[in-house]
Amino acid sequence: MTDTPSSQRVVRSRGSRLARREALTFYLLISPWLLGLLLFVLGPIIASLGFSLTRWDMLSPPEPVGLRNYARMIEDRLFWQSLSVTVRYTLMYVPSELIGGLLLALLMNQVSVRGIRAIRTIYYMPSVLSGVAFVVVWMWLFHPEAGLINATLATVGIRGPRWLADPNTALTALWLMSLWGLGRTAVIYLAGLRSIPRELYEAAAMDGAGAGQAFRHVTLPMLTPTIFFNLVLSIIATFQTFTSAFVATNGGPLDSTLFFVLYLYRKAFQDFQMGYASALAWVLFLIILGLTLLVVRSGQWWVYYEGEQQ
Amino acid sequence: MKKTTPLLLLLVFGLLAAMFGGCTAQEGSLVATVVVTATPTARPEGAKTVLRVGTGDSGEGLTPHFKIIEMFEAANPDIQVQLEPVGSGDYYARILTQIAAGDPPDLLQIGDDAVPMFVDKGAFLPLDDFIASEQYPLDTSIYLPGVMEPGKWNGAQYLLPKDFSPLAIYYNKKLFDAAGVPYPQEGWTWDDLLATAQQLTLTDASGNVTQWGIQLPGPWTTGFEYWVAAAGGSLVSEDGANFVGYMDSPEVQRAVQFYADLYHKYKVAPPPADMNAFGGGNSEFDSGKAAMRLFGRWPQAGMKQNPNIDLGVAPLPAGAKRAGVLFWGGFGISSLSENPEAAWRFLRFYTGAEGAEVWKDWALPTVKSVADSSGLSNDPIEGVWLNELNHLAPRAYVFTPYWGQTADPALRRVLESVILDPNANVAELVATAAQEAQAALADIQQ
Repeated sequence: MTDTPSSQRVVRSRGSRLARREALTFYLLISPWLLGLLLFVLGPIIASLGFSLTRWDMLSPPEPVGLRNYARMIEDRLFWQSLSVTVRYTLMYVPSELIGGLLLALLMNQVSVRGIRAIRTIYYMPSVLSGVAFVVVWMWLFHPEAGLINATLATVGIRGPRWLADPNTALTALWLMSLWGLGRTAVIYLAGLRSIPRELYEAAAMDGAGAGQAFRHVTLPMLTPTIFFNLVLSIIATFQTFTSAFVATNGGPLDSTLFFVLYLYRKAFQDFQMGYASALAWVLFLIILGLTLLVVRSGQWWVYYEGEQQ
Repeated sequence: MKKTTPLLLLLVFGLLAAMFGGCTAQEGSLVATVVVTATPTARPEGAKTVLRVGTGDSGEGLTPHFKIIEMFEAANPDIQVQLEPVGSGDYYARILTQIAAGDPPDLLQIGDDAVPMFVDKGAFLPLDDFIASEQYPLDTSIYLPGVMEPGKWNGAQYLLPKDFSPLAIYYNKKLFDAAGVPYPQEGWTWDDLLATAQQLTLTDASGNVTQWGIQLPGPWTTGFEYWVAAAGGSLVSEDGANFVGYMDSPEVQRAVQFYADLYHKYKVAPPPADMNAFGGGNSEFDSGKAAMRLFGRWPQAGMKQNPNIDLGVAPLPAGAKRAGVLFWGGFGISSLSENPEAAWRFLRFYTGAEGAEVWKDWALPTVKSVADSSGLSNDPIEGVWLNELNHLAPRAYVFTPYWGQTADPALRRVLESVILDPNANVAELVATAAQEAQAALADIQQ
């Protein structure tokens, strides 16, 4: 990670007027985005840190309370419940996304070059659909009596669970629902698979490697940067799960799907506790930051970059 | 890269300074600018006062708003009204941020249980001086009984009623006739309800239920307040300070137990299909597989057109007491409005007799003369709804602005628990809930 490819270093060392002009153009071109970030993202982020030290119902002026909001979390049963739901869901979803996405990509990779475009589009489609619309469709599928899933199970004599209406199965149902979006990960894997040089497989085949060995010793190591990328993105996104639970269960039944961000939203906009909600947001930020750093650190042990010195 | 950093910073700060400089230079006009961006419709010419109206209604529900606005503007050429609808899920989040930013609409629509919180924090102007004013008075005796109460806080009127719904029992005459069971009548009791539901619950040879007695609204807490009131209980002390001793009282226990028994012991109610859906997400009544349904008036129009249903509406059965609860939406004037006079003129039209004449085609009218002249008061179905107004018990939220964030989630856990678990211990559940609610209240008031 620390080694930069040599080509880049050459450009940088030149430091010519041309390079400086190019850099200036670059910053000019991204300045609208950068300004947007500073004003509409960074500003509110910093403001929320300030609000997290206050009691604020958004109707009357905020009143400073020091670190009380943070201390309050320790005794807040629902804080721990929402954290537990989020962590359990992450442990379910991230591995399934990484492995499922890879399997899907390997399957897609078998298809001819002409077929791949259609297949890729079909699998990616759910990722562009509106989150709410697709959750609503799944809610119908999961309906305990009239839903397609339980109706299908009933034809073979199985009495299906009550899915979203049962605290024992609601989180699992949301997880099954989310697997619909595997295509997004698979498409990234597919790009990774396509960029593995054919020569490596030829060399492996000449050395007598079977399909399994080629996968283990060529495909997998060459894919580690892609896996790494997907892992980081997946963890960050999963910790912020909101839409599916907000639309399908609103955290229930019995708080079994009370995700962290859903609890945060509830505190802010239903309970008028913007100060506490801001504190929750900062705790979530620190958790995600910590996890991401941990994963990035671990990368040096298992991520292989081509051209990197071993 | 290092060499270009100062350039970048210069650029960014230069632009930032320009923008903030621009803002401070014209602070006075900032609000007006925001108004324009919020509703980029044509601005009026001449000296028209522009009023903004916030509503959580959407789609079809906006039609009556537009009709009334059109009527009002024709009669009041000096005022232009802009409706700002926000899809219901985001409505409170939107108006809260607008209030925090100092730029809410002049008139705001809110629901019953949000009234104490918003009013307590000073978001609305008191209306009593307007109501008694000489030029634009409002005769409050025109309203049906009970519909002004949800807009009051500490004895003063802050909001006026837009629409409302009590609870009642829908029943399907087809299923009653097929089973030879008489239709429920005013004066029936919980025992009668149970007996009727049992007679109408049918099972096939293998014991599967083919028809349910009554579809109940699942763990819906505000709907459940009917059962508490009818059992003679209340969920909170009148000073709003105590849940312990109320939520865990024998009356509340009796209400929870009876409700749970309808599901589990007597098995006359279908289990909720969707615990999160408003009313439990069941479709048994609509598909002709449940004989009765306890709910508000909202889905009635669809039921009347449903070929599976020959619709009747019965009054709520009495428990230890004859009681009911009201669901309500109303409008008030934002305390940040720059044109409270004009806002009042529109509000008294919107929610007064003129407006009620339009609302009556979408919901129950709030004005008695409109209900009478349109024949609704004597209608076999609508008359039942209107009669429920004579039996209202106060909802729990009227006693504390913190109901929604303290006791409501605790009560919901009780209801979810008893619906999900046939062996739930009701006494233990309500005791825990009361203590949780009490602790949450102490935490907020600290």
